[in-house]
Amino acid sequence: MSSFDPTSIERPDRALMKYYVITALLTGPLSVIVILPLFFKYETLRYRFDAEGMSMSWGILMRREIYITYRRIQDIHLTRNIIQRWLGLATISIQTASGSSSPEMNIEGILEADALRDFLYTKMRGAREHHEETPGASTIRPQDEALALLREIRDLLREAKP
Amino acid sequence: MSRNVEYAAAWMYRGIWGVLTRWFRVPQHPPSLPTVSGEPLQSFRPSDGFLRYLKLQFWLTILPTEIFITIGWFSVVAASATAGRPWIVFLATPIAIFLATVPQTLGYLAIHLRYDTTWYVLSQRSLRIRSGIWTINEATITFENIQNVTVESGPIERIFGIGNVIVDTAGGSSGGSTAHGKGATNLHRGEIAGVSNAAEIRQTILSRLSLSKAAGLGDEDTPPAPGWTAEHVAALREIRDALRTKS
Repeated sequence: MSSFDPTSIERPDRALMKYYVITALLTGPLSVIVILPLFFKYETLRYRFDAEGMSMSWGILMRREIYITYRRIQDIHLTRNIIQRWLGLATISIQTASGSSSPEMNIEGILEADALRDFLYTKMRGAREHHEETPGASTIRPQDEALALLREIRDLLREAKP
Repeated sequence: MSRNVEYAAAWMYRGIWGVLTRWFRVPQHPPSLPTVSGEPLQSFRPSDGFLRYLKLQFWLTILPTEIFITIGWFSVVAASATAGRPWIVFLATPIAIFLATVPQTLGYLAIHLRYDTTWYVLSQRSLRIRSGIWTINEATITFENIQNVTVESGPIERIFGIGNVIVDTAGGSSGGSTAHGKGATNLHRGEIAGVSNAAEIRQTILSRLSLSKAAGLGDEDTPPAPGWTAEHVAALREIRDALRTKS
């Protein structure tokens, strides 16, 4: 886990192209047509993982870039169909709370999918204890402070009263 | 005698099973979750009742098709006898045997594969569900993102003493089966299917859910909105009274 560095991921693995070729061949006579968009997707696919979120972009004619903040991740699905299992690939589907039931982002072609998934898990909402980050000393709630101030005003007014 | 047969069957089964699970690349280890050290991890699979339930379901669907195939075969035999073409029987018999055995065997194997790949992991903060045959899916959901927890069990499932815990997160709840094709379920949902202690699991999830202070959506890092309590109002009244008596 510690040796895994997601920021170094930029391109999908070559095995993804193999997977695309196999899926295209499975469509039979249509494979010539199917392979083209898949080939261009593979060629243009770029990933970027930074401290706050991740982005994924692809496309030649229709360029798409998706950016998702780690904190907004709701569900992470790691799917492997049988061909992907043979090739050691996986699809990581990221979902936020948006209305669509299809995933917002499908990360394909990463060989260390398990490590990446666990990295995303540690960054996602609710995976970490965030209450520990705020120790008791620095947490004076505003309403408490307001109450203290009001009491002070009251006392001052009482003192000022002749 | 029957015991020996049983052993042999079990051995054969395991041998075939080993090849099949390797071929299907069934994960060897149960899934795990990255945890804080010392945090207990609860990992379990569906109960045996679930396997029995799936098999009953399987036999209930298989029986009519078998009867149908047998009737079809007999009618073909009768028809060929009356038409005086006995060679049709030789053609129809292997087809009937094929139809009566191969899909059923595959279906039976699929049940076992499904049972073998299914795993559930609960940690203090999240749950992970692994399931699937052709496509193995591992869903990770933190308790904080859970919107509601449902326990469901049908009449036959109750006979086998099992239930399903369904966990929903925010977002679309439409099936989405058209967008993903066959076998794809709603991705905003996790299903802990076929467990004998469904109510207990729901209770566990709910109690861990209530531990998290953030409610529903939004960034939990933002401090709670300042509000007025009864004490504030009382203090303000005192100020007003103090000012009144002064004037």
